[in-house]
Amino acid sequence: MDFNALVTQIESVAQGIDTEIQNISSDADLEAVRIKYLGRKGLFAEFTSFIPSVPQESRGKIGQKVNFLKDRIGVLLEERKRQLGVVAPPQEKISLDISMPGMGQAVGRRHPLTQTIDEICAIFVQMGFTVKEGPEIETEFNNFTGLNIPLEHPSRDAFDTFYLESKERLLLRSHTSPGQVRVMKSRTPPLAVVVPGRVYRPDAVDASHSFMFHQIEGLVVDRDIKFSDLKGTLEVFVKAVFGDDIAMRFRPHFFPFTEPSAEVDISCIMCKGKGCSVCGRKGWLEILGSGMIHPQVFAHVGYPSGAYTGFAFGLGIERIAMLKYGITDIRLFFENDLRFLTQF
Amino acid sequence: MKLTYNWLNDFVEIKLPPKELCHTLTMAGLEVVSLEEKEGDFVLEIEITSNRPDWLSVVGIAREVAAITGAKLRQPKHIKQNTLNIQPPLVTIENKKDCPFYSARVIQGVTIGSSPDWLARRLAYIGCRGINNVVDITNYVLFTWGEPLHAFDVSRLENSSIVVRRAHKEEKLICLDGHTRTLNDQMLVIATGSSLARSRAVAVAGIMGGEESQVSTSTTRILLEAAVFDPVLIRRTKRTLGMQTDSAYRFERGVDMQTAEFASGQACRLITEIAGGKVVGGKTVKDAVCKKKMISLKTSFVNSFLGIRIPGKAIKKYLSPLGFELKPKSKDVFSVGVPSFRQDVRGPADLVEEIARIHGFEKIPKTLPQIKPHVEKSPARDMACATKDILVGLGLQEVITYSLTDKALLKCFAEGADSDPIEIRNPLSKEQAILRSTLLPSLGRCIAYNLNQKQEHVAIFEIAKVYLFAGTQVKETLALGIALCGARRHFLDFGSVREDLSLLHLKGAIETLFSRLGIRGYAFTPSPHNVVEIMIGRERMGRMRPLTAQELVALDIKNADVFVLELLLEKVFPRADLHKRFIPVPKYPAISRDISFVMKEETLVDEVVAMLRMRGAPLLRDITVIDYYKGKQIPHGSRGMTFSCTYRSEEKTLTESEILPLHKALCESLVSAFGATLR
Repeated sequence: MDFNALVTQIESVAQGIDTEIQNISSDADLEAVRIKYLGRKGLFAEFTSFIPSVPQESRGKIGQKVNFLKDRIGVLLEERKRQLGVVAPPQEKISLDISMPGMGQAVGRRHPLTQTIDEICAIFVQMGFTVKEGPEIETEFNNFTGLNIPLEHPSRDAFDTFYLESKERLLLRSHTSPGQVRVMKSRTPPLAVVVPGRVYRPDAVDASHSFMFHQIEGLVVDRDIKFSDLKGTLEVFVKAVFGDDIAMRFRPHFFPFTEPSAEVDISCIMCKGKGCSVCGRKGWLEILGSGMIHPQVFAHVGYPSGAYTGFAFGLGIERIAMLKYGITDIRLFFENDLRFLTQF
Repeated sequence: MKLTYNWLNDFVEIKLPPKELCHTLTMAGLEVVSLEEKEGDFVLEIEITSNRPDWLSVVGIAREVAAITGAKLRQPKHIKQNTLNIQPPLVTIENKKDCPFYSARVIQGVTIGSSPDWLARRLAYIGCRGINNVVDITNYVLFTWGEPLHAFDVSRLENSSIVVRRAHKEEKLICLDGHTRTLNDQMLVIATGSSLARSRAVAVAGIMGGEESQVSTSTTRILLEAAVFDPVLIRRTKRTLGMQTDSAYRFERGVDMQTAEFASGQACRLITEIAGGKVVGGKTVKDAVCKKKMISLKTSFVNSFLGIRIPGKAIKKYLSPLGFELKPKSKDVFSVGVPSFRQDVRGPADLVEEIARIHGFEKIPKTLPQIKPHVEKSPARDMACATKDILVGLGLQEVITYSLTDKALLKCFAEGADSDPIEIRNPLSKEQAILRSTLLPSLGRCIAYNLNQKQEHVAIFEIAKVYLFAGTQVKETLALGIALCGARRHFLDFGSVREDLSLLHLKGAIETLFSRLGIRGYAFTPSPHNVVEIMIGRERMGRMRPLTAQELVALDIKNADVFVLELLLEKVFPRADLHKRFIPVPKYPAISRDISFVMKEETLVDEVVAMLRMRGAPLLRDITVIDYYKGKQIPHGSRGMTFSCTYRSEEKTLTESEILPLHKALCESLVSAFGATLR
């Protein structure tokens, strides 16, 4: 078939096809015509295979024509089929096995600690807090002195610290509370800020201790912040993380940088307060430390005496994540076993 | 701190059963961690916070119970230094700052024996080993009033003399526990002798007595010490010597002078009652007594600070039983006298805490603060979050690894070899001795760990700080590390294919990341040793490469290739442009034409694309690689490529004839410029 023959043949099909299809009167004839034109070895298959040999300048035009005609035959056949009232036979069982694995791209996941941090930050952001991060390498002032932690006092023991080999007595922050000092030094109230991040303490690693872990510090400072505001805020947080039916209690405690200081317990999420191995039969789980910012801390950051009041709190991310997901060994977070990470 | 229910009941009438008492104490800040029944008594263990040395005593806790329950504190009468002073001891204090108070009382005619039953049992219940009646009494007084006492055998002292001084360098003392301690001038000792210089140590002050001067069965005359030492000095000494004793525990937290005086009297009373004998002399040396601290406290401040409404009357009711003296100054203001044993109370906030504790934290309502909006972008954090989301979407798993690492592994890595490591002065172990300057060794470890767990495909990333020296300054900066290893499987409709991860996968991840962050003008520049530099403009952002054989050995990874990448996000993020501007979707359709050709292997795709773009402008809108092939049909040293060229005009619908000459010219330029063969 040469080029001209092809054109002629297309033209003749175009002219005769309407009548040809209109004259069909049975289902079987309909199928025969379909095969004649559109079948695997039909006329159009032949046309298509011929197209590459068409001179380049006409190729597009011919291709268009062939496709147009092919579509039209399909439409006409369908139309005739409807006219003849041929009921389509029930569809055969599809050959696709839908129980085969779906095709798609596996996505990764954020680390469970990142997820916990983001979730907690989001709760506070909804309450109007901003998120701010601070450096991990800190000065003694920001980590201790500014927070009213005397250098030579047993209260320092709780914040045992890694020091760098450096002249300036730099250290790895042992808590996120230096974030309080930094935020207050950089801005004047009103303030509502949360500071998430890594912290370090020279603890031997075991199921419940790690020399590196994560905390979130929060603080609210304004002219008239009350202790009752601390209770209300933390209740919103605790219920958002652990659910509405969780009970919360405030216990007096001591932190050098808050006064009054309180430790916050929640009713044990395992035993609902009855007492089990997770809560050490107490029915309560200690989850965070908090209190009203100590006047001495305000003095250290240069706020005028008596001008502001505020509250602060700090919580351990690993502890929250362990309670929330029922994880019993803190080391799992840092081993990064994919069988662990992909559960979250 | 351990005590028993009956012991406490001696000093305050407890109106609560033991369990309720524990709950009440816990909710007042004295967390009871255990309660144990013992032959009609109950042993309580309480965790005492470091600010409350006054709670390290039965009486201190009794005072708390009295305040909470409204019962009365029962204190015995104070026994004054008796007037009989036949044999006064000689007390010399080198520096009153080290020892602001020292009381020595000499009791003659004591009979050393075992303690009476009640005393022995109480001490046993709280885990204190019984020694003899005199020593047991000093311990009993220590636990009851919180004042550590020490009894010396006077016959072992020179002329009943006591010298309180710094230890000499290398001075040695055999302590009560039989161990010899070597002391220095940063430590305080109790010595005996005619003068400061000519005295020998008989005790490490505030920490432990010496063996030689201890009370023994043959002792008849004792010198009873009650003192106050500088807490910092005791703390340092205790640390240096590695000794923790009940005595040091209290001295380092601060002991009250008045309590010391009182406790000394009580001990004398008990010793003479139980061990017999008579006080024959006494000597007290003390620094000027500090004036009573006064704090002015407003009822309105208490209420507004706590968010409660209580009258001044209630404040007085709460604070008085704790030893505070309240005098009304005006309708709203109290002048509050602070008892000497409450050195922790310095200002109104401390008093507010006391009020809140006794009132009950539980009774304080819950309110929400009026938080004023403050919109502040935290670009680095927001950008890091966006980056994590993008990478996770690309199938990478986030990991979190330790910032501390070991020097040896760090040194194996090219990224860690050339920089001075930042060392930890007090590391726990060699494995955590260095602050890492690169994330790659930790990521390598993660890969190795997961390969050991038989994972076939490990694709991980971490965004964390790395720590570097900038000149002499230590600097921390945010980095992104990615590590890939193994192969992933894809299902296609004819079956599954195995896709080995390679450097191009790293490149793909970065291309997606950069394009999503709106970063333009980046390039991947090959450099020696299979390293590819990642550039934005002329600035190096980081690099990617396969791990070397040496690194793989160090990580114990066998038969696997690992590809790693590290970017300094501090440099990348400022280049990001997240401002999106709408570009109208094209009005006129595009025409695509493919070009298949064979080019020399060493020809870079980038060069070919750049040339085609340049020559194809403005109608050539896009050009992408849609296929490439190397194999049988392609001559050795060449590769087959298929590019798809998209032509479009902004003014009209292009026709075939309009692009044909251009497309043809582009095809020919491949031949002329790169010696390609069209297929």
